[in-house]
Amino acid sequence: MKRGLGWLVSAAVAIGFLLPLLWMLHASFRPEHAIFEGGFGELLTWQGLSLDNYAAAWRRAALGIGLLNSFLQVAGILALGLLFNSMAAFAFARLVFRGPRLLFGLVLVLIILPVEVLVVPLLLTVRDLGLTGGHGRTLAALILPFAVKAFNIFFLRQHFLALPRDLEEAAVVDGARAFRIYWSVALPAVKPALATVVVLDMLTHWSDFIWPLVVCTREETRTVQIALANLFTEPPIQWGHILACAVIITLPVLLVFRLAQRHIVASDLAAGIK
Amino acid sequence: MNPVSNSTRAAAWLFLAPALALLGVFTLWPMLRALGWSFTAADLLALDSARGVGGANYSDLLTDPRFRRAFLNTAWFAVMVVPVQAALAFFLALWVNRPERYWRWLRTVFFVPVVVSMPVLAVLWTMLYQPARGDQMGLLNALATGLGLSAQDWLQNPRLALPAIAFMSVWQGVGFQMMIFLAGLQNLSPEQLEAAKIDGAHAGQRLRHVIVPAMRPSIVFVLTATLILSFRLFVQPYLMTRGGPEDATVSIIQVIYEMTFLGRELGMASAGAMLFLLLVAALTLLQRFFAREVRS
Repeated sequence: MKRGLGWLVSAAVAIGFLLPLLWMLHASFRPEHAIFEGGFGELLTWQGLSLDNYAAAWRRAALGIGLLNSFLQVAGILALGLLFNSMAAFAFARLVFRGPRLLFGLVLVLIILPVEVLVVPLLLTVRDLGLTGGHGRTLAALILPFAVKAFNIFFLRQHFLALPRDLEEAAVVDGARAFRIYWSVALPAVKPALATVVVLDMLTHWSDFIWPLVVCTREETRTVQIALANLFTEPPIQWGHILACAVIITLPVLLVFRLAQRHIVASDLAAGIK
Repeated sequence: MNPVSNSTRAAAWLFLAPALALLGVFTLWPMLRALGWSFTAADLLALDSARGVGGANYSDLLTDPRFRRAFLNTAWFAVMVVPVQAALAFFLALWVNRPERYWRWLRTVFFVPVVVSMPVLAVLWTMLYQPARGDQMGLLNALATGLGLSAQDWLQNPRLALPAIAFMSVWQGVGFQMMIFLAGLQNLSPEQLEAAKIDGAHAGQRLRHVIVPAMRPSIVFVLTATLILSFRLFVQPYLMTRGGPEDATVSIIQVIYEMTFLGRELGMASAGAMLFLLLVAALTLLQRFFAREVRS
């Protein structure tokens, strides 16, 4: 009896909490005139639902190319980031000597730098480097500045330091073998930490907004978030298209979250914003 | 330290080179340039002809009404969000902290808005806050009128717009804070955990005398981290209200961007960015300080 009641309360709270997202999903299938019609009763209606909004949003927002751009952006950041951050972390953890130690202090300081501050001077720097305009250049501008992340270096270094030292003692004695030890011993040993970094970075950069907003100047270079913002700000405003676009953007995120939930550990989250 | 061989030294630099090169070109160099511009009258379209103005940009900003408005908005946003979100997250954590695997889904529910992209949520809540026009209205107003309250134009009313954005932000981020509290609860002793079941008699007392003291490190962390995150407010007002109505929701970041891209005042905007960076750095130091206090 008590357990049944507890279940009922929990289910009610859960539905209430997720109501905005449930409404988003439902309304995305409704015809334009019906989206803001009536009250809660309408939420349960299955009449007049169609995929029209999805078809129109896909066309109007060029979501095919938008999804591809976002996918390439995230993949690029992850690939370069995994390699470069873990290499640096390994060096800081195992190949210590005086110079890099001071550099590590600098890396620690960079962790607190909010990306919002960086955007304007970074945009001008990226322009000076000729990384604006076309597809490849814009993609480079989206990826290169954010592949290396001070926090990830710090985080992976902690995990390399926690490895038993004799596992790769040889690396310290003989620098020539360092890369092989890093690649075939150290890196596989910190796989869980790498997974955490991948999942958190994936979610973070799929949501990137400020930077793509200033870099993606042409329609064919837009990421999905910018495509959504454009549907939202450029007349004619079609709420159904906006909703369908929002759902399409959200599906990959929920999929990743569902598959990778166990890699999102609360203590890592806490470390992530320290 | 061990004597370091030359080959190890070379290997270390090789390992560090890609990361240091990218950080140098795309973080350090831009930041140094911005620091330089902040002391000049640099124009966005004529960078080289910048004339030095000393600290004038900084003193101008501190008296600039729009910059001050943005600072006050952001501070007010933090005052609304931080305590409410932390308290709500704390009680959610106590509520969902059940050992049975079966109840895991409940934690997931509260974490879902955290993983959905902020632009998506900003757009969605703009629709939920839609004012009433005839029989057309957003979900929030449908709820309000259903309860016999009057419908509001949430985002276009200068008094309601920022609280409305704060409400949405609490909903979006509460699951994150909840997870951190959950991790904190996992460090409690069995007796403390027993006390953390909030139902039954003397629940309030146990909460005050047993659980809150034991959870102090998590509480300090959540409060300070939420404070820092709130000051970085930008996407929600940028999409939901464009900073309006009457600058009621304009954020520090938006003011800096408009100085750059609309006013072309790169020098002034860079000074604004530096002030913002100082603010975040100060808050971070505050966080470290409190964290250390709590530990000792």
